[in-house]
Amino acid sequence: MKNTTPLTFKVKFPSNADYIPPIRKFVSEVLLVEHFNSKFSFRSEVIVDEICYNAVSYGSHSMDATVDLICSVFSDRVEFQINDEGGTHEHMDRLKKVIEKEDDAELDVKQSRSDKGLGLEIVKMLSAKVNLKIKKDNVTSIQVIKHREDA
Amino acid sequence: MNVLKMEVLESDFGPDVAIWRIEGELDASSIKAINQHFNKILEGSRFHAIAEMSKVTHISSAAVGELMGCRQMLAERGGDLVFVGLNLDLKTKLNHLGAIKIFKFHNDLRTAINQYAWETHLKPEKVWLSFPSELNLVPPVRQLVSQIARQKGYGERDSFRIETIVDEVCNNAVEHGIPDKLRDIELFLKIDRKKIEIEVVNLSDPKKLNSLKAISKSILGTNEKKLERGRGLSLIKMLSNDLAIDFSGKGTTVHVTKLRED
Repeated sequence: MKNTTPLTFKVKFPSNADYIPPIRKFVSEVLLVEHFNSKFSFRSEVIVDEICYNAVSYGSHSMDATVDLICSVFSDRVEFQINDEGGTHEHMDRLKKVIEKEDDAELDVKQSRSDKGLGLEIVKMLSAKVNLKIKKDNVTSIQVIKHREDA
Repeated sequence: MNVLKMEVLESDFGPDVAIWRIEGELDASSIKAINQHFNKILEGSRFHAIAEMSKVTHISSAAVGELMGCRQMLAERGGDLVFVGLNLDLKTKLNHLGAIKIFKFHNDLRTAINQYAWETHLKPEKVWLSFPSELNLVPPVRQLVSQIARQKGYGERDSFRIETIVDEVCNNAVEHGIPDKLRDIELFLKIDRKKIEIEVVNLSDPKKLNSLKAISKSILGTNEKKLERGRGLSLIKMLSNDLAIDFSGKGTTVHVTKLRED
């Protein structure tokens, strides 16, 4: 992986699904400007949509909860990191389960096809790497790496 | 058979919003319970009710009719009754009954309360963006702000004027920023139902600072001379309701307020 200095964008937005369409479109437009092709940028838009929706739906439900999205654009890849203020234990456990599952055959089809499981499976399919970190203060951080050739 | 359960609770948001939790089957036999609990809402002088219905398994047309009556009473007081968490099957059923044209539906309690706060209490929402000082990034940034405005209900004309403002402010920030581009540009957005405030902060090129100050003084002052440069700021001033530029502190800060017109 080339580690040239990336172009980095950071967005902090209310934990409200209204903001997701403009933000995913913004990421897609930035990638086009940075000379990634339209297929790559659209698939990145799908990734951003899923991780943002996950953060809004299953992260903190306090009235003033916010979500942080950081995009680092390298010449050969894009890295997304999304932080939310953490949801219930049930959601954290389910998140870990989906991300740590290596073999797709293990996937519980019923679970994955529910409206609460499909999103991260899509993210895994479209990216090279998905990492999950849960910090001490319950902040949930998901990192996704998508290489240019993955388009 | 699912036993019907109902309770009326205060919301964390304030005394004028009631949370009405309903579980089980809402059929003709539940009319009495609907009225009893609705009266509790009215007795508390509340005019906005959020019916949390994620555990409702059935709604009859009689129950829908009764809830419409409840909503009508709240609407006469300037309030509303909204539904939260209904499953897809029940929403489809309500759609067939035409109830979708009368009631608002939300996925969860927080969305419903935030929508209420937005509409009734003009609660602002804030977005912060940090981006590298590059001209080719300005179009995506202006489109982001414009689309946020559209998403929050602003009309097309207002959204386009907001996009123009952001374009001019960000272009200025890039063009007059320090040449080594070490520091990113920050954009703060504060939006409510009636107005939008945009603040862009950047570190200006010290060599250009004096001319920037002169241009802004001329445009923001009472004597507007015809300048060769500075048309962007004049345009922003024309399109907005308030424009302020500050050269102290962490850099150059341009603060624009635009009232919603459509």
